[in-house]
Amino acid sequence: MMILVVGGSGSGKSSYAEEMAVSLARENVNEITMKKYYLATMQIFDKEGRDRVERHRNLRKGKGFLTIEQPTGIFGALEKMETGDRTVLLECISNLTANEMFSEEKAKTKMQVMEDIICGIKLLKEQTTHFVVVSNNVFEDGIIYDETTTEYIHAMGMINHKLAALADWVVEVVAGIPVIIK
Amino acid sequence: MESVKKMKLVIGGTAQGKLEYVLLKYELQKNKVWNGCLPNNTDDIERKEKPVIINHFHLWVKSRMISGGCPEDEIMSFLDCNEDCIIICDEIGNGIIPIEPFEREYRERVGRILVQLAKRAEEVERIICGMGQKIK
Repeated sequence: MMILVVGGSGSGKSSYAEEMAVSLARENVNEITMKKYYLATMQIFDKEGRDRVERHRNLRKGKGFLTIEQPTGIFGALEKMETGDRTVLLECISNLTANEMFSEEKAKTKMQVMEDIICGIKLLKEQTTHFVVVSNNVFEDGIIYDETTTEYIHAMGMINHKLAALADWVVEVVAGIPVIIK
Repeated sequence: MESVKKMKLVIGGTAQGKLEYVLLKYELQKNKVWNGCLPNNTDDIERKEKPVIINHFHLWVKSRMISGGCPEDEIMSFLDCNEDCIIICDEIGNGIIPIEPFEREYRERVGRILVQLAKRAEEVERIICGMGQKIK
């Protein structure tokens, strides 16, 4: 089962996605709690970044997630996991997209970024029992940005489209409330 | 006419007709509305009568942040004494994360306060094109 969770800044999408991953991992036919992995994509550059990661770590505390740092090349996380039943939570597509786009000296095009990310997502979907993906709604501030940011927004739009098509469920989190889209 | 006994939360993008929706639905007059601020005391509230409608709640959060207040606690204490109110707030978190730290913090804090308010609310409606979508 693959679930896409989208939402804006401070919407409560992360805690909702974590709850989903925890409850999916529990629904195991063998009654053995399956392994839960958290794929962290954020690169830390400053105190704010550290605080953000710390807040998320605290949210996850005691829920039994094993954290894998995977800021780019998301499929690489697969070889860091044990085989067998596993639930994977990927947070989040907006960081991953920015990292993929801007890590190298020359920015990748939106098509290239979309293809790379979706290819990795498909592999993860195939090779996991449950896969929860968190993405961000970055589309509704009405601001016209520079060319690079516009390219990023378009990449995010295309990726969200593809993710929604791949997902069994799509949920938008609004003020902490899940609104089912698919 | 629907009555207001417990807090109701109304959210949505800017210029979606949130206030008009509320006034029409609850048959209330515009003079009851507190714009971007909270009533200070019971005298204020009596002057405008209940239910209290707080419009542009996000702007109140911003002004409290600028003054170094704690909007998270302040709104909860306000609600402890005034449960029968309607809070109207713009959704401001659905965009590119701003470069400016204050703007970033502002969006996140409004978002997180809304999560708390939505938990406490008897009803949450999202307004799009003037139409209400009940999400709680």
